[in-house]
Amino acid sequence: MLRYAKLYWHFVIQRFKILMEYRLNFFIGSISTVLFQGASLVALWAVLRQVPSIQGWTFEQILLIYGLLTLSKGINHLFADNLWVVGRDYIRPGQFDRFLVRPINPLFHLLADRICHDAIGDFIVGLSLVSYAMVQLHLPVNLASIGFIILMVISGGVIFIALNLITAATSFWIMDSIAVTNVVFHTNEFAQYPLTFYHRSIGVLLTWLVPYGFASYYPASYLLGHAIGWMAWLAPLVALVCITIAYRVWVLGLRNYGSTGS
Amino acid sequence: MPIIDVRNLGKTYRTIEKENGVKGAVKALFRPQYREKVAVHDLNFQIEAGEIVGYIGVNGAGKSTTIKMLTGILYPTTGSVSVLGHDPQRERVANARNIGVVFGQRSQLWWDLALIESLNLVANIYEVEPSRYKQLLSHFSEVLELDEILKTPIRSMSLGQKMRAELAATFIHEPKVVYLDEPTIGLDVMVKQRIREFIKDYNQTHNTTVMLTTHDLGDIEQLCSRVIIIDAGSKVYDGPLNAIKQQFGKFRTITFETNQPIASVNLPPACEQLNLSEFSLEVRFDRSQISASQVATAVMQQLDVADFTLNEPDLESIIKHLYQNPTAYNEVGTRG
Amino acid sequence: MDKLYYRLRIYRSMVSINIKEVLAYNFWFWSQIGAHVLLTIAYISFWKALYSERDSIAGLDMQQTLTYIILARIVMPLVQWGYTQEFGYWIREGTISSELLRPVDFQERIYIGHLTRTFISLVQQLVVVGSLALFVFKISLPTDPLVWLSFLISLLLGCSILFCFDWIFGCIAFYSTEVWGLQVVRGSILLLFSGVLLPLTMLPTELQTIAKWLPFAQSVSVPVSILSGMTPLSNLGSIWLQQLAWLGVMFMLSRLMFNFSVRKITVQGG
Repeated sequence: MLRYAKLYWHFVIQRFKILMEYRLNFFIGSISTVLFQGASLVALWAVLRQVPSIQGWTFEQILLIYGLLTLSKGINHLFADNLWVVGRDYIRPGQFDRFLVRPINPLFHLLADRICHDAIGDFIVGLSLVSYAMVQLHLPVNLASIGFIILMVISGGVIFIALNLITAATSFWIMDSIAVTNVVFHTNEFAQYPLTFYHRSIGVLLTWLVPYGFASYYPASYLLGHAIGWMAWLAPLVALVCITIAYRVWVLGLRNYGSTGS
Repeated sequence: MPIIDVRNLGKTYRTIEKENGVKGAVKALFRPQYREKVAVHDLNFQIEAGEIVGYIGVNGAGKSTTIKMLTGILYPTTGSVSVLGHDPQRERVANARNIGVVFGQRSQLWWDLALIESLNLVANIYEVEPSRYKQLLSHFSEVLELDEILKTPIRSMSLGQKMRAELAATFIHEPKVVYLDEPTIGLDVMVKQRIREFIKDYNQTHNTTVMLTTHDLGDIEQLCSRVIIIDAGSKVYDGPLNAIKQQFGKFRTITFETNQPIASVNLPPACEQLNLSEFSLEVRFDRSQISASQVATAVMQQLDVADFTLNEPDLESIIKHLYQNPTAYNEVGTRG
Repeated sequence: MDKLYYRLRIYRSMVSINIKEVLAYNFWFWSQIGAHVLLTIAYISFWKALYSERDSIAGLDMQQTLTYIILARIVMPLVQWGYTQEFGYWIREGTISSELLRPVDFQERIYIGHLTRTFISLVQQLVVVGSLALFVFKISLPTDPLVWLSFLISLLLGCSILFCFDWIFGCIAFYSTEVWGLQVVRGSILLLFSGVLLPLTMLPTELQTIAKWLPFAQSVSVPVSILSGMTPLSNLGSIWLQQLAWLGVMFMLSRLMFNFSVRKITVQGG
């Protein structure tokens, strides 16, 4: 474990050196996510400034949901962005082979190979939104609430990574998985708003099938004092189950690697 | 105990047969029709410590598939592989510590990193002890002439520089077994020579086991004492390089240049026409049955010959002959 | 006349190549559609929730807004991607240098391909999102052929304006390799100021002013407002004139920018 941590640090340093070599890229990459989130938020604000609330949810409350989701997304973006392109950039051109002949876990190697700094934007936006919403809504900012948020954001991040890992593993069978990841990943946009906005089936979907709801709606509801009971604390368990299943699928895919002919 | 022990190894690929168009794609999704392709069939061989083995065959013969199973990249369909007592698939990490792999056509280094940074990272991955790393680095810098390229990112290296960098990265953890897949492909003569010398030297000083696939028979002639030939997924020859040479050494070729265009020519027995163009003819003959002068006389009676040359057999023509005449393998016999 | 005929033949072969290309990426294509449908559902649900407690927002009632939104969702995939990544690819692979040697103008060739793909995409979106609107959300689409025709003309002009803008923006790839980030920057600005997310009249007046001076609205807000009935047909004359003016300026700028940037390759040797 310590060995992997040290090794990860070495990868981070090397990545940073590459980024410093292309400084303009570093700047564009970081600013791009801020801009993207910003644009969606301004649009949201433009609409919501004209209405006091939607089905009992105020602008600030929606921002809290949105911010929590953005933070979870940021974790996935920072640590696991390579899952998007494993088929296109590694498996198809044969670059994946080198991960399999090195004395470290191939998945670790894949993730460490490209840490995505664009995630800085997600963290800036997410943190600002959550802090702003907490202050505006007069929610208690103490050790307990901060600890809860950290736990939920990490769980949410793990859920994001797990779902992307499952879809990424399909590239062992179909070569390029971006298309599959694309569909599944985008269901997270439902979780930007309260799940009560949607038809019940969508709520069930976002809770039990693609459980992005645990990264945003449920923790936010708990923080806002809504009565959702034990659902508030389920996220870490869901994350654990998801990542376990996902890793199994990945290992299964690894066994199948290269077997479709070259 | 052999270092590499391959028993009844086989690999069958399953590909999905797809019909064209959307309908075909949907059909393939729900009721896939598989087609099986045997890439490697019932392979057996053992390699001892310190051997350099040339693993050769035409494209698609199953060379890469074998190497990928030996290194743990692919799971075999049948049989087993053991490298220094480890199963390369199930004990991937333990096996990876012992081996080094070069894929001639792809880099294992980081495209945007300077070579020295890449090497540092590789050394960290293999947990090379820092003082040992320093020693090896200065040694490699000398023999592979890395000094000029240590600060260069891989993306701006020439092919030859890339391969030198690649070798340094492969040997930096002092692997006991090394697989080299086409290590000299596309390189010029000078670089090829330096790389061969490096491999030979390393093999002699470290008693490293080397398995080499190549299309360049110069590599084989200069490095390998033993050759395994694979054809259509099966082993067709396994033995010393000398045995092939002696057996096929009985063949010679003569090239004739003529003044007049050649219409046709009748060759004496034990001769075979290899190439025929307007003003040139290449004949191969079995030295044990007919002499060079007899062949030359027979041809010169029919053609207006301006010049002719007698050629010693090289490995290339021997292997070519083997590939073209599968029955010829029996003449050499197999070991293993 | 012969020259025109020759041109048309070239165009025809380019169009057929592009159709084949689109169909070759079936899997990717359906996934895009799938993701787009999902987002459309999320989006419409959001707006329905918004209207559940009130009759009008910024003077628009629910039916008007939903019609606008669903039509904007139909147009969105047409304008979503710029040419930044393509530019990056062309520069990296050295395509641009060899393209410049061909007899057909490079920009013209790409433009024909662009229009073909846009048209295919439009038909697909109309079928997929259109049926979603009709059968799932019960939103009625306009039926007057004259309105559709005006929409199509305005959309053609708008997409051409945007194409020229993307050509200019893509030229940044000559100076930076971070093409994905650049694409996201462009996409973000487009998201807010083109009217794909909401009718521009809902924006605060300052932002509306900015939107007016950016080319994005020409390709989404302007044609969609015509189709959704927010813009009366009597305004068409002045709208088309404005679009033509936009097109002229953008086209000139795109030629200038490309010719200027391409020197970077020819001077440095790629």
